[in-house]
Amino acid sequence: MTKRSLVIALLIIILAPFASAQAKPDKVIAITNVRIIPVVGAEIPKGTIVVKDGLIAGIGADIAVPAGAEVVDAAGLRAYPGMIDGYSSLGLVEISGVSATVDNRETGRINPQARALEAIRYDSMHIPIARSNGITAAVVAPSGGLISGVSCLVKLDGRTNREMAVEGAAAMQIELPGLRTGRGGFGGGRGAAQVRADGPTLLAELKGLFGAARAYEKRRDAAARNKLLALPEFNETYEALLPLLKGEMPAMISVHSERDIRAAIQFVREEGLKAVFYGVEQGFKAADELAKAGIPVVLGSLYDMPPVWEDGYDALFRNPGILAKAGVKIAFSSSSASVAKDLPYHAAKAAAFGLDKAEALKAVTINTAEIFGVADKMGSLEKGKAANIVLADDDILELRTNIKKVYIDGRETDLSNRYTELLKKFEKK
Amino acid sequence: MKHSTRVFVSLILFLIAVMALVAASPPGDVGPTYAIRNCKIVPVAGPVIEKGTIVIRDGLIESVGPVDKIKIPEDAEIVEADGLVAYPGLISALSNLFLETPARPEGQAFTSEEPPQPQAQQPQEDRFPPGPGLLVLDQLKPKRAGVESFHKAGFTTVLAAPARGIFEGQSVLLNLNGEPLQPMVLRNGVALHINFTTERGSYPSSLMGTIAHIRQSFIDADYYAARQAQYEKGPAGLKRPEYDPRLEALVPFIRDRKPVVFQCNNVEDIKRALKIAGEFKLNAFLAGANEAWRAADVLKKSPVPLLIALDFRPPATSKYAAQGEELRKKAEAEIYPANAASLAKEGIAFALVSGSNADGAAVLRNVRTAIKSGLSPDAALRALTIQPARYMGLDRTLGTLEPGKIANVVLVKGEFFDDNAQVAKVFVDGVQFKYAEVTK
Amino acid sequence: MNKPALPRLLTLCLLAAAAVVVSSLPAAADSRDILIKNGTILTVTKGVIPKGDVLVIGGIIKQIGGTIAAPPGVRVVDAAGRYVLPGIIDSHTHIALAGTNEGSEAITPEADVGTVINADDTAILTALSGGVTMVHTMHGSANPIGGPNVVLKMKWGRPSEELVVKEALPTLKFALGENVKQSGRTVQPGQTQRYPATRMGVNAIIRREFEKARNYMAQWDRYNRAAAAKNPPRNLVPPRKDLRLEVLAEVLRGERVARCHSYQATETLEFMELAKEFGFKVQCFEHIWEGYKIADELAAAGIGISVFADSWAYKMEAAEGIAYDAGYCAKHGVLVSINSDSGERIRRLFNDAAKTMKYGGLTEDEALRLVTINPAIQLGVDKLVGSLEVGKQGDIAIFSEHPMSAYTRCDMTIIEGDVYFDRDQVLKEREEAAKKAAAPRDKGGAS
Repeated sequence: MTKRSLVIALLIIILAPFASAQAKPDKVIAITNVRIIPVVGAEIPKGTIVVKDGLIAGIGADIAVPAGAEVVDAAGLRAYPGMIDGYSSLGLVEISGVSATVDNRETGRINPQARALEAIRYDSMHIPIARSNGITAAVVAPSGGLISGVSCLVKLDGRTNREMAVEGAAAMQIELPGLRTGRGGFGGGRGAAQVRADGPTLLAELKGLFGAARAYEKRRDAAARNKLLALPEFNETYEALLPLLKGEMPAMISVHSERDIRAAIQFVREEGLKAVFYGVEQGFKAADELAKAGIPVVLGSLYDMPPVWEDGYDALFRNPGILAKAGVKIAFSSSSASVAKDLPYHAAKAAAFGLDKAEALKAVTINTAEIFGVADKMGSLEKGKAANIVLADDDILELRTNIKKVYIDGRETDLSNRYTELLKKFEKK
Repeated sequence: MKHSTRVFVSLILFLIAVMALVAASPPGDVGPTYAIRNCKIVPVAGPVIEKGTIVIRDGLIESVGPVDKIKIPEDAEIVEADGLVAYPGLISALSNLFLETPARPEGQAFTSEEPPQPQAQQPQEDRFPPGPGLLVLDQLKPKRAGVESFHKAGFTTVLAAPARGIFEGQSVLLNLNGEPLQPMVLRNGVALHINFTTERGSYPSSLMGTIAHIRQSFIDADYYAARQAQYEKGPAGLKRPEYDPRLEALVPFIRDRKPVVFQCNNVEDIKRALKIAGEFKLNAFLAGANEAWRAADVLKKSPVPLLIALDFRPPATSKYAAQGEELRKKAEAEIYPANAASLAKEGIAFALVSGSNADGAAVLRNVRTAIKSGLSPDAALRALTIQPARYMGLDRTLGTLEPGKIANVVLVKGEFFDDNAQVAKVFVDGVQFKYAEVTK
Repeated sequence: MNKPALPRLLTLCLLAAAAVVVSSLPAAADSRDILIKNGTILTVTKGVIPKGDVLVIGGIIKQIGGTIAAPPGVRVVDAAGRYVLPGIIDSHTHIALAGTNEGSEAITPEADVGTVINADDTAILTALSGGVTMVHTMHGSANPIGGPNVVLKMKWGRPSEELVVKEALPTLKFALGENVKQSGRTVQPGQTQRYPATRMGVNAIIRREFEKARNYMAQWDRYNRAAAAKNPPRNLVPPRKDLRLEVLAEVLRGERVARCHSYQATETLEFMELAKEFGFKVQCFEHIWEGYKIADELAAAGIGISVFADSWAYKMEAAEGIAYDAGYCAKHGVLVSINSDSGERIRRLFNDAAKTMKYGGLTEDEALRLVTINPAIQLGVDKLVGSLEVGKQGDIAIFSEHPMSAYTRCDMTIIEGDVYFDRDQVLKEREEAAKKAAAPRDKGGAS
């Protein structure tokens, strides 16, 4: 080979990574003159955020703007961490009444092998709508049956579903039955307080199942070590449950009545599971127990009627405040795909009924990140975390607020969505 | 034939005839004249007689009065009634006794927001489809057990009514004088019964559809009668009106003010019934009506006969059923049982009826509950005797113990509405039925 | 039971019954007088008064603004730091009814929801907790022609006839599209699919019924003329009175307006053509997720819309709904109201209205109109309610923050001067119930 061709080859080898660098933006962004609400740490009335390599490289009142940085003058705006939805069906449901577009509910009762990440439509029309309202990540969960499958935590940006994944396996979804509510009104006295199927009975069933899975693992591992022992038949269910039983992921247990909450607290302690509870509509009646057990709570949608008349008309609204005051770590969810954008408004409504406003903001940012083990990456505006930054013209939990920019991993995302596209198509010129 | 054979055959035939006669006798003792003596008598018409005598002859009350005033006829069988109380036989002015079809379903849930799914066709043939022309008498199946159950609760007369459909059919007044049906009949085709329910899977499948259907039916019946009258007056040149059995059956209720009984499952049904009755000037009765106290103002303004069925469960649509368990329990235990007492306090007249309850003892228990909730025993008794008699147009022959009236008498051990009262004997049309031993 | 205990138990029962009856009525039930002090008054039609009083006497607003001295015996509510606004009006709901659809047939205008009012529906309480004082409660969307609807005040505890707003414009529910076609339903063996099963049939059946109604009116007209003549023919037979066609005749005579559930642009435009053809008035289209596509046509025809904020994507015809629908139409000359169509959403109509600030660029005041004066106009009761003006009825809500803030909460709901929802009262009762539950059981008393 000639010396010249060697140099060319070397140059190609050296420069090639830079040519194909779509995943890592290499420009530096400096957001200046912005009011910073980092969520962790004090508010900065006017400061600068420097973004580099997808991370927050610098944040403060007196940060120098690096040379060559793209300067975004955010005077009059506020910077928040991107919000995180604690439970949604984003990417799994397009039009809820058209079953061909619905992928969040597998048939049968026991489906630990179902993995939400593997079915997410990254081009769902609901994702950009939520993103353009300042939500940058979401837990996407399967539902239905007793064990619905494995949820994932995704960022709301990515060219493929795998690219979206932050936590491919976020939690094993387990569902205990809810309390029946009346249509449009309260439950009423028509046996509304009766739970459809027995929570403790189902937990006992799970106990049995987990025990069988552990026994299966023991036989399988023993056979792996000792070739003379028979290898058990592959069992999809047990295999899928092992990461939960080995503590590699938490269980996210949908639980609703006071009685079932207590039973579930005991259950996770006895089984030695990491757990987060979801729904928890009667949590205010077992707040101290939840706090003592250190079990965090992802609240269900506040757009539901109180399950039981006696809990009072505002039960779901005041529930988060009572839990937080008792020391429970709470996070909000949209529990939706088509109105996932409403995540902040659930938090605000809880604040209207007793939840501290600062707590409400934490419950859509850092708390959710901590619950799902990604607090090192997101949930607050801190140096070293992912540059998931939302620039808004007002309080991010307020209804009138306009989101001006959304950065995910340091890259400015497209704020256009299904709504804006259709509007543009039909609006009067 | 030889003479001896003839005699023998005649003898056999005579014996057969006697046996047949005996076999055809109604159960219980048969005797045309009774003198019930030494009992306390509550005639309802007039003051209580502490110790008196009732003479029954030919199924009628011949005389009633204090023992020293009434002469015991020499052909009378003496019925010793020392320690018993004699009442007029109770009248239930609405009952589903002897109906084999299942009772009307519990309060309808009207919360559907989607079109109803029509059910698969019922395979069994419906021999008695509900409708204004149905005479419930045709489908009644009297059973001894039913008669006894009602006797033991003191009931001797019932209005047996249909219980299926919207236009359920026409009722029949029965005097419970035994087991065969025909001799029981006092009057057939008494009233038209209407229930605020719906069809399933066919029109009308909603309550508002039912109300429109009821109104349209009466409009059509009136139109039908008008066309017939017009034709009768002068048929020449007029196309002859077509026969319609359903409308034909409705005409007497809209033109001749024959009674129409509306089953009212809640307070709104009462208002709905009154509105329809007012629109078509019907001779309306309101039945069920366990929320009547909530419509007291309306009922005072437009009085109608009330047939209160003593069902204490709050209807499914009631606010007492929808605001938590505690209120619902309180409603069933305290609020709804006080219905009759509240009406009495407001001066609103009513009769108490057995309704869809086929268990006489349960009916009596409910009456006692109503009394414990504030209804005076005297008012309760009147609501089960003279008031229903008046409502049913029977007050000339039943409802009180007076000479000349039909001999429907109940002899009770203890006061009628005491918890441990027991019916000892019942006379219906003068026929005696024994139920409990009389101990001195 | 021992005789001496009977009268006491009786008295207790009567008292208990009376107590429950009384407690189910609003406090000071018949007073209809109230003075609200020191609140920020959002009149909706006459601007914002930063701090002032509102006086209601006999159910009517007598004075607004400034400091008003309390007349003797009038209840005073201190609204310092709070917002005083007109009671919220829900232009499309299905609460307080014993049934909402007569789905066994496609055309049922004889079925009138006004005959099946259920004043015991606890959804009324839910509505009150969200500041709602009046609703237009309607047929569902099972039929191309459903039936008459009714407007109710949320007077919990009052007899049903007192809830009816007689002054409201009589309306008739129509519906187009998927629900009517029963497109979500699989036909079971032995059953037939109900006609119409396409949007073609929906249009055709409505046209057919109006033709029948026209014919019916013509028959009656002829009969009436003949009967009024000097020597009416002897064999004159009147037409049969048909409740179904009577209601449609009202629509044709302009005595009743159409409120039509529709989603897609085409079916909406076609219904407007039908209305023109038969000369009847369309007051509002309901839901109409594609309204933004034909805003100009709607504005030109003077037809209003009653829509959701963002409840979409649940069926195909809602797949092109956009959150800008309400705001965009409002800015283009269409009279827009935001509705709930739900006994749950009815408690947060104010939140839904607020969304038009972000999706549509409406101001706070414009957004508030969508759930106050606009639905009042649509229902024909804007002379009575929908804004805080002297002479209007005292239907008032008091909120903890501005109603268009996500942090707000309804604290009190007043209808014609009577308090029907009082959050302080609810909290007090809750506290007392908690104290009673925690207290040791009382020994003694009748067993």
